[in-house]
Parts: sequence; structure tokens; C-alpha cells
Amino acid sequence: MQQAERSGNIYDLGYRGYDGLRLGRKHAIASLYFYTLRSAFGLGRRPGSKIIPMAIAIIALIPAAGQLAIAALVSDVEVYTPSNYFAYIEVPVALFCAAIAPEICGRDMRQRTLSLYFSRALHRRDYILAKLGAFATALTVLTLFPQAVLVIGNGLASKDLWGYVQDNWAELPRTIVSGLFIAAVVANVSLAIATQTSRRAYATIAVVAWFLVTFPIGGILVEVSHDTGRYALFLSPFEFIHGATLWIFNASPGADTSMDLAGFPQWVYPLVALAYGIVGFAFVVRRFDRISA
Amino acid sequence: MPIIETRGLVKRYGRTVTALNGLDLTLEPGIIGLVGANGAGKSTFIKILLGLLDATEGTASVLGYDIAKDGPVLRQFVGYMPEHDCLPGDVSATEFVAHMAQINGLPRSAARERTAETLRHVGLFEERYREIRGYSTGMKQRVKLAQALVHDPRILFLDEPTNGLDPAGRDEMLDLVRRTGTEFGISIVMASHLLGEIERVCEHLVVIDGGNLKRSGPIGEFTASTGTLAVEIDGDAGALERSLEAAGLTAAREGRLVLVALDGDQAYDLIRDACDDLGIGLVRIERRRQNLEDIFREQTPAEEAAHAAG
Repeated sequence: MQQAERSGNIYDLGYRGYDGLRLGRKHAIASLYFYTLRSAFGLGRRPGSKIIPMAIAIIALIPAAGQLAIAALVSDVEVYTPSNYFAYIEVPVALFCAAIAPEICGRDMRQRTLSLYFSRALHRRDYILAKLGAFATALTVLTLFPQAVLVIGNGLASKDLWGYVQDNWAELPRTIVSGLFIAAVVANVSLAIATQTSRRAYATIAVVAWFLVTFPIGGILVEVSHDTGRYALFLSPFEFIHGATLWIFNASPGADTSMDLAGFPQWVYPLVALAYGIVGFAFVVRRFDRISA
Repeated sequence: MPIIETRGLVKRYGRTVTALNGLDLTLEPGIIGLVGANGAGKSTFIKILLGLLDATEGTASVLGYDIAKDGPVLRQFVGYMPEHDCLPGDVSATEFVAHMAQINGLPRSAARERTAETLRHVGLFEERYREIRGYSTGMKQRVKLAQALVHDPRILFLDEPTNGLDPAGRDEMLDLVRRTGTEFGISIVMASHLLGEIERVCEHLVVIDGGNLKRSGPIGEFTASTGTLAVEIDGDAGALERSLEAAGLTAAREGRLVLVALDGDQAYDLIRDACDDLGIGLVRIERRRQNLEDIFREQTPAEEAAHAAG
């Protein structure tokens, strides 16, 4: 009889205290980082929220897949190399920013989850760190994963694997630095733009405008007036990011491109990109210092 | 040790709006009701204690921690259920509450375990694996309470916890709040503009009006006995009223009740005898308690006048 009563109680544990570990801020930051990173790719969420990030990832992989197919059929033809892959990857990067940047913090702003975060053992700066880190990591996946596929595929397709590794060894650190640099700069600026409003549509349009509207403006103004118009190139992320990767790979812009016409020394572009990243970061910090939760 | 102590707490928005006007409070552990009309400064007060807003002037400490200096340490031991919606729609309650537990520093496995327990405690079962967007208001309120409780806080701030609930949901939520406070020893500060709710749950009452502290004390002080007897009878109330007046008592009618001024113990006997003489069934004699609403009426005659005029 007594045993039956006890087994009935198992299901009504009710509320119990917690005396275990409390890991504090670092753990909080790490948790928010992984939670945000997963949400950026729609992992652990309904299938609908995976479509856009996965589609963009596939777009980013198309040249690598194409290159591998070519290399397998007609050996030793390199259409895509690590350095010019970054010129292509800027498009999926822009798409990813437009689609995902408004979600990184905008979701918390719209749904007012911020007050739950900021009333916990977390500084506002910690929140920014976790969010920016997660978004930059997601972008790094986008910039470096296709490169990894390309390098591994090319290596395996070449008849002399060891020779391939030796030939391409020098490119590896450059590739990694470029991928990280692009992701960091673009993450800071697009998040700075996207967090100025909690309305998703406005944020998306603003990020798209930053990438797309500035591009023709830069190109046109360089043509129109060389002396002053060439500075318009610094407005366009496509231009200064491409310029920065060319500098990292120690390459020069092709003849008759806008960058060639502008004639700036190549080291100017990474500095411009860095300045954008820092200003973007400052805007994100300013935004969250002031936002009411 | 007091759980909350404030000295000269002031909050101004811009130059013109004063939300809190120099609040001095010392509160001991327990279930504390924070009452005031909408816009009285209840939410502002809670948000300042949580560090969501900075005070314009003054100091405050919660659980002995200074809110300005030790905010992050303090907030490990604090739970907050906001008045407004604060839940994402595209994750399940389980995932969200576990995430919030981890933000509070709980290791992953402990967070999962506590989440399951807490959600069961607030009464969410199979639905906890579904996306929050499909939840009813009552279920969302439960998730909001669960995320505030999941890390076993020592003090819980509840801002209008029954917002948007139907009467049955309201009862359940109040019951949950009372049990959380009494059975588990968690101090609770519950803001509400509904006095009835506060009366049912809280032990201590703080009345805020227009950013000023009106009164703070045990709930008993507010609902002390009055000098009025309410007599419920089964018969002609008018006849009883006349009979009692004839016997020298002050009586008045209120619907089916006869109200009698308590003027010494003989009033009870006189009422009994009067009913007997008239052949009326006496159902109940009750000493009236002061209603919390009376305090507001008493203390703000201007409002009462406005009420009567409107």
C-alpha cells in the first residue's frame, strides 16, 4: 500500500531549489553566442527558417562545385582560385547580410526579449560581443567553407597531391585572413545598419542599399571625375572589400576596372575597410547603450 | 536583512516627466504587493531595481547588493517577468527557457533539467515542445513565469502577472504566485493595479501614487476591522432596520444587508432579539473589514469626487 503511494508521488516533484554551479558571465556570453549562431542558419527552428541561409550557402558553393567538376573532367584548369573566389563570394555575403543581419538583434528588439537578457547576469556589452561574434562566425562559414571545399577538391583532383600542397601552401594563410577580415568588417557594419531600426523590412532594405546602391555610384563617379570622384569608391563595400583581398593576396586590380582607374595604392583599401568596421562597431555599441529594454 | 532598500530614488524622463519622486523604502522578505494606478511608477521602480533603467538620483540595494555597483552579480539571483510580451515565436518553450537558464549561468545539463521541472511547476506539459507562437495568452504567461523562475532566484519581480488572462487563468496564476512565495521561500514583488489580486496573494503592501510612496505596511493594517456589522437576513430588511433604530442602534440598508454601527457588545444581542421578534431568519452577522479600495478612496478625495462626477 505504502509503496503504491510513493510511486504516485514521483510525478509530483513540484518546485525544487537549485544549489548547483552558476557559471556567470562568460558562460552567459558563450551560450548566447551559440544560440545566435544556430539561429543564423535556422538550426533547431522550423524548416522555413532554414531555406534562406541554406540557399545562400549553396549559391556560395556553386563556383567551388563547378571548379571541381571542371578539374575532374579537364584536368588542371583553374577558373576559380582562392583570390578571385572572394570577388564572387561578395554577392552571397551581401545576400546573407541582408537576410540575416536584421534577425540577429532585431528579433530580440521586436519581441522585446532584450529586457530578459539585460535583467540577467549579462552586461549590455556582453550581449553585443556574443551577437557580433556569432554573426561574424556565420559569415566566416560563408567565406571560408567554399574555399575549403575548393582547396580540398583541387588537391584531391590533382595528379600530384603533395605537389599541389607545396604549390598552394602560401595561399592558405592569405585565404584565412581574407575570409576572417571580410566577415568581421561586414558583420560590424551591417549589424550597425540593421540595429538602427527594429522593423525588419527597413533593416533589410538599408543593408541592401549599403551594398548595392553604393556600387554603381562609385563606378560612375570614378569615370566622371577622376580627382574627387575616385573617393566615391570608398563608399562601396564591394570595391573596398575586393581591394582589401587583392592587397592581402598581393594582387593588382584588372585593367580598366574602377579600382584601376581610381589608382589608389592597394594598401588604402584594407585601411578603409578597417575604418568601416570600427565605426560600425561604435554604432552598435552606441545603439545598445541607449536602447530601452 | 531587508531585501530591498531605497533612498531618495528619483527617475525623471527628460525635464518634465517625473516617474519616481524620491522613494524611501525598506522591505523585508515576503510577498510584496506594489499597487498603483497605471502610470504610477510601478514598472519604473521594478526596472530600476533590475538595472534596466538608471535612476536619476538616489540609491537602492536588492538582497544587500548595490544596484549600481553590483548589478551583474545581483542579477544572478533575480527573476523578472515583464508586463509586456517578451517571448520569441519561433522556438519551443523548452528551448527558450533552457537558453534563458544558461544566460543565467546554469550549465547546459542543469539548465535542461531545471527547465523541465519549472515548466511542469507552472503547468506546461506536452505543449512545451511546440513553438511558442501557437500558445494561448495563458500559456505564454506561464512561460514568462517559468523563465523568471528557472534559475531559482531569491527574489522574483512580477509586473502585472495576470495581464490578459481570463478569470480562471487569473486564479491559477495567482495561486501559482502564492505557492511560489510561501512554499519555496522566494521573495516576490508583484506589481498590479488590481487591488483584489494583491489582497489575495500578498503579505505586505506598498502603495505608489504619481511616483510618490503613499503607504507601506503589512496587508493586515490596510484591511483592519471596521466598526460596522453587516447583517444578512432572510426576510424584510426594512422592518429590521426600523426595529433596530427603535432599539437605539444606528442602522442603514445596503441591498439585502443591514449595516449596523458596532456600539458595544450588546449590539449583537439586540440584532438577535430584533430578528426573533420580527420572525426573520438570521443568516449571518459579520464584522466588516476595510477594503483595500477604501484606502484609495479615503486618501484621494479629489479622485473620488471625479469618480462620482464621471
